[in-house]
Amino acid sequence: MTREGGGRFPRRRLLKAAVAGALLLGAGAAAVVRTRGYAVPAGRTLAWMSPWQFVVFQHAARRIAAPDRPGADASIPSADDVDVTGFADGWIARMPAAVRRDLGRFLAYLEHLAPVGSGYASRFSRLAPADQDRVLAGIEASSSDQLRAGFEGLKSLVFMGYYRDARTWALIGYDGPRVGRPEGGWR
Amino acid sequence: MNGGAFQRGRDLRGDLTLDVDAVVVGTGAGGSVALRELARAGLSAVAFEEGALSRSGDFDQREDHMLPRLFQEMGGRTTEDFAIRVLQGRGVGGSTVHNTNLCKRTPEPILDLWARKYGVAGASAADMAPAFETIERDLSVSLIAPDMRNANNEVLRAGCEALGWRGGPLAHNRVGCQQSGFCELGCTYDAKQNALKVLLPHAVAAGASVYSDALVTRIVHDGARVTGVRGVLLDAFGVPQGSIEVRARVVVLAASAVGSAALARASDVPDPHAQLGRGLRLHPGAAVAGRFDRAITGWQGIPQSYECTEHLSYEEGSDRRVWIIPVFAHPIGTAASLPGFGASHMSAMRAYANLAVLTALVHDETSGEVLPGDDGRPVLRYAMTEADRAQLARGIAACARLLLAAGAREVTIPAIPPVRVTTSRELDALDLSFVRPHCVPLTAVHPMGTLRMGEDPTRSAVRSTGEHHHLRGLFVSDGSLFPTSLGGPPQISIYAFALHLSPHVIERARQ
Repeated sequence: MTREGGGRFPRRRLLKAAVAGALLLGAGAAAVVRTRGYAVPAGRTLAWMSPWQFVVFQHAARRIAAPDRPGADASIPSADDVDVTGFADGWIARMPAAVRRDLGRFLAYLEHLAPVGSGYASRFSRLAPADQDRVLAGIEASSSDQLRAGFEGLKSLVFMGYYRDARTWALIGYDGPRVGRPEGGWR
Repeated sequence: MNGGAFQRGRDLRGDLTLDVDAVVVGTGAGGSVALRELARAGLSAVAFEEGALSRSGDFDQREDHMLPRLFQEMGGRTTEDFAIRVLQGRGVGGSTVHNTNLCKRTPEPILDLWARKYGVAGASAADMAPAFETIERDLSVSLIAPDMRNANNEVLRAGCEALGWRGGPLAHNRVGCQQSGFCELGCTYDAKQNALKVLLPHAVAAGASVYSDALVTRIVHDGARVTGVRGVLLDAFGVPQGSIEVRARVVVLAASAVGSAALARASDVPDPHAQLGRGLRLHPGAAVAGRFDRAITGWQGIPQSYECTEHLSYEEGSDRRVWIIPVFAHPIGTAASLPGFGASHMSAMRAYANLAVLTALVHDETSGEVLPGDDGRPVLRYAMTEADRAQLARGIAACARLLLAAGAREVTIPAIPPVRVTTSRELDALDLSFVRPHCVPLTAVHPMGTLRMGEDPTRSAVRSTGEHHHLRGLFVSDGSLFPTSLGGPPQISIYAFALHLSPHVIERARQ
């Protein structure tokens, strides 16, 4: 039997949860977020996200959908290859305003406060990939139900964007939709 | 009434004003039956559905396309605390469009309990039998034959047999099934014998009209009787483009245990005993995955054709309240459910074809509440009790034991952090105190309660006839009616109760 991960830095996580809770729930949270210095790719039109949200989401998506054989297997599409963030932007634009607000607050927490809770004095989007993984793992295993739920929502959105693309299906042996009736059915 | 039709609200221009005998809110299992029976009785009746009208050609078997089309909040509805994902149908046909066709009658001990403790009259097993028989005939319900059982379901059967646990085949409402395995995304082969394919066309043939893209926002009443409904017509993007104003002697709520209760509360329906929205049951479930050396390809073939009832008793307060069935998702759903992220997650996904997945659903006694939300979305308040949490842990352990008994090399409980076991001995030693909401992903697809029936107005919202205790002409015809969880899939119970109660609806509409 194995249980992965563990309960490191419970006091720090408690502090982080408290601070994050205040950010996530605070009506004026967006006001404290620094939003300069973020650039989206040229020609990219955003449906809902602001540039800083796009960049932070993109960094998170690259780590959440990171390949298990980095560099060695060129057949693995990256999150950028299948435009996970562009898909998520369009998806969120169709969601209720309260959901969009929650995601915006969570991204602000991820970018500015979560790294501090994990011992980094830098924005999430400026951390090295391994350090970003550590920050994300800290949120996933947070003692705060709200933060864990926020992470699960982000993860679901990333994987929706990733595994919707037929280029990812070969990785997992999935043969895709079975539209079109073969003689004798599908089995 | 002549001239029934399916009308797409998005294609209508201007406002819609109608004067009818009865209006039905919602077009799923309960609403479709109520509408059909009203029309067949010669009454003028219309039904309104918030979502779109889909046909089999619209179901393209892609999760990213079907979640927004077929599910409330694009599949993202959760309880207020985000602990439980609640998948509910949106669109003509309601949840009968995306469900997996499970057909079980209301268990007799449940009907007895409702009569004995909750004061439900006229709904014994004998009373209900004709309605069940009619609905099962209408929907061509039959047992799934062993040779149509897919490998994921075979794993559950093998596990039950190896452990000597009680299990058996399930009945479905499907005819001409191609076994493509995409039931939860709508049937592109039109094999589901559901509200969309069977009952609503019956209703339209009898003269009723069904409006899609039509959101009812208020039940209109004078405090003593209903006089109709108000709402909005929606365009293809869900933006209001016209008003709905309907005068009717009868309003039938059939918008689910969530939607009906939220609408009733938002409409200031008299509620002197604070019953509206109370008693929410979710029948929540948690999934457990087993990795096999052989390919399972669980996404192929008929889902959920076998059940394990070893840990399920319908007696109130029982310590055996878990129903176990196979469950399998397409890639997006699976990826969201597997623990972790990054490289370890992708490695786990590479085993997708070798996974078998079971789910343990708790016949819950937790009593939650539905409230109308500020932004139009209902609020689902549900705090799982310790007794139900213990049942969830029991169910998760039972799923793991079944998978190991069926030959799984490794079993994963998708907790945070994930738990993996490879032997029954490891499972025996496992401390399951980590099993609780927020620490294991929970999903609910069977909301019930919230407008409970019974003869005592201090403990129920509607009478045993389905009519509201205090508002003449307001009826309920969906899973809101049920005073407790059913412990199993509700669709046949909803269809049957809608049929069983329809004479009362018709009688009132004629007055």
